[in-house]
Amino acid sequence: MQNQNTISWINKSFPDLTTVQTLGQGGQKLVFSARHPADGDVVLKLIHPSQDAEGVRREILAVQQIVTVRVPRILGVGRIATPIGSCIWIREQRIIGATLRERLESGHLSIKELLTFGTHVLEALADAEKANIVHRDVKPENVMVDRTGDYWLLDFGISRHLTMTPITPSAHAFGKFTAGYAPPEQFRNVQREIDARADLFAFGVTFYECATGRQPYQDGAANPLEVLRRVENDTVPRLSLNCGASDSLADLISALTQRRRDHRPATVQQAQLWFRDILNANQPGSISPGV
Amino acid sequence: MELYLQFGHGMMGLSKELVREWGGGSVILSPRDLNDEQLQRQANNINQLSGGRVLLDPQFYLPRADHFRLVAHSFWPADYSTGGFFGGPALWKLVSDLKTLNDSLNTSFAILPGLLAPRISDDWLATQDAILEASRNADFGRPLCQTIALSADACRAEDQVAMLLEHTESMKADAYYLVCEHPKGTYLVDDPSWLANLLDMVAGLRLSGGKVIIGYCNHQMLIGAVAKANAIASGTWLNVRSFPPSKFNNQDEEKRKATWYYAPHALSEYKVVFLDIARRVGVLDLLRPLDGAEPSATALFAGGQPSTIDLSEPDSFRHYLTSLKKQVEGSLQATFDATVSAHQSLLDTAESILTTVREQRISGQLRDFSDALPANRAALAAILATRGPILRREWNTL
Repeated sequence: MQNQNTISWINKSFPDLTTVQTLGQGGQKLVFSARHPADGDVVLKLIHPSQDAEGVRREILAVQQIVTVRVPRILGVGRIATPIGSCIWIREQRIIGATLRERLESGHLSIKELLTFGTHVLEALADAEKANIVHRDVKPENVMVDRTGDYWLLDFGISRHLTMTPITPSAHAFGKFTAGYAPPEQFRNVQREIDARADLFAFGVTFYECATGRQPYQDGAANPLEVLRRVENDTVPRLSLNCGASDSLADLISALTQRRRDHRPATVQQAQLWFRDILNANQPGSISPGV
Repeated sequence: MELYLQFGHGMMGLSKELVREWGGGSVILSPRDLNDEQLQRQANNINQLSGGRVLLDPQFYLPRADHFRLVAHSFWPADYSTGGFFGGPALWKLVSDLKTLNDSLNTSFAILPGLLAPRISDDWLATQDAILEASRNADFGRPLCQTIALSADACRAEDQVAMLLEHTESMKADAYYLVCEHPKGTYLVDDPSWLANLLDMVAGLRLSGGKVIIGYCNHQMLIGAVAKANAIASGTWLNVRSFPPSKFNNQDEEKRKATWYYAPHALSEYKVVFLDIARRVGVLDLLRPLDGAEPSATALFAGGQPSTIDLSEPDSFRHYLTSLKKQVEGSLQATFDATVSAHQSLLDTAESILTTVREQRISGQLRDFSDALPANRAALAAILATRGPILRREWNTL
């Protein structure tokens, strides 16, 4: 009933949107799908400021930051506006598909899927890096795979623009992060040490999970503190794939998931070049019969 | 990787001879061992040799050092106060004087002064930055080589080493002169963390685009090749084959006289009288020199009792350095993996020899490599796990 009222309110407040439907609700957000005459399928997020003032500020800042990133592999933000009444709204491009997490429920990715995933997400991170933005929450829940098999990076909700005031206060005990994907410098919340290499770590862990179906830090851990302890002390096992590029990919993932950030590639661009070199050095037939 | 000659006692004539025989080479001059006039003469002598190059180690590790020859140099500050030195004209004077001296000596790189870090702290890093900045402003007209001098404790601490490498990303020099005190003052290091961190620093500095010279080395630092160090520097006596900061204070000069023979395949050194026993029990040949070694060393293996051969101190030094040069030249391979394999092979061979000769109670005493083997192997494992993938990829660009 409440949603019906909200949809009616949306229809009145956003007359250019049609076929408005509820997609979900999370935290302080209500999320709807709709159709826009110019932008096609879109997502409309309604945020209630009174519920979490800090959360809203963070969300708006994040969107303002990511609005500067106009790249193919990051969901485009159509509009962000000042509140209508008590509500802040954001309209984004909508991808029809599933999250990578949902996709992984049916098993790990094939080599072909894995390489596409790597190519697309590194593209997205490289573009974010050019815009001085660190995503800070790369994980399967924040990657969408659409119906054509393309991958999209979404939810810059805890991202950080490196030249702007941190969204997450340094005084916060641990900062914002997802245990098992965030590198040590992120969950120690050392703001000056968080740069694109934090995203490379999370990407490396996600890649490993996609390749093997195993989350190297979370699987078998009794609690989040054990996950953090593992990230601090353990290394991701060496990747072994049934393809010609196995050793090269294992080297790359090993480098990306180094505990110390100075042991990782210095930039996303370097990692992307490394990944491309692997693809170029291994003609499709030699990487995998399926590619 | 190259072998540089670290100037010390007994190096005056030897460095000239070796650079001439080798068809070139670099000598790191030591103000502690040479007065102003000797510095100039030695530099002139080396520079006029084909391929001869000199560098000057300012040895400003301990500004309150009191070694009589060191503090008599014109560049050495007459007064040093911790608070104001690095923020005022005193630093500028030191740097300017060193520029003049480097010009006069016609050095190939300018090694900058650097304080010995008891621990790597923000204050110490700020001092490093101040020296580098002042040196840039002084326009040395040659590449600047930043001294990184670390106490044993600082080199052992991974978080401090990480802090240093992170800092260096934003304050890069053209090259780095890495000088690390050995733990417990030992000649050969059995501490795997110290060695792993040192290798990590070399690799990190190389990957950041700088050249790296490791100063005050013995043959244990052949492992520097796996991090693609540009050079290791070694010399005659133990106090230039490891870094004892105390040598920059007044103390008795080296007086212990014993002649040691370096067995390159065993990575160990032996007093010649132990070679007599090795011969008697039939294992002498395991300790033989490399092909083409110095005649004085080869003579020990000619069939007679080794101690009847007069292996003099200069012969011993010359043998050590010529052997080490050959080993240095063979240490660097075309790929990272081949370089690691070459070092592993070196260690395996040494271990096999050492096992055999030690069974016969033949020991190199404190120069026996047995206790250092695990440290080298652990350091190799560490760099393989942490830097291996990137070094493998970047090897040919370094």
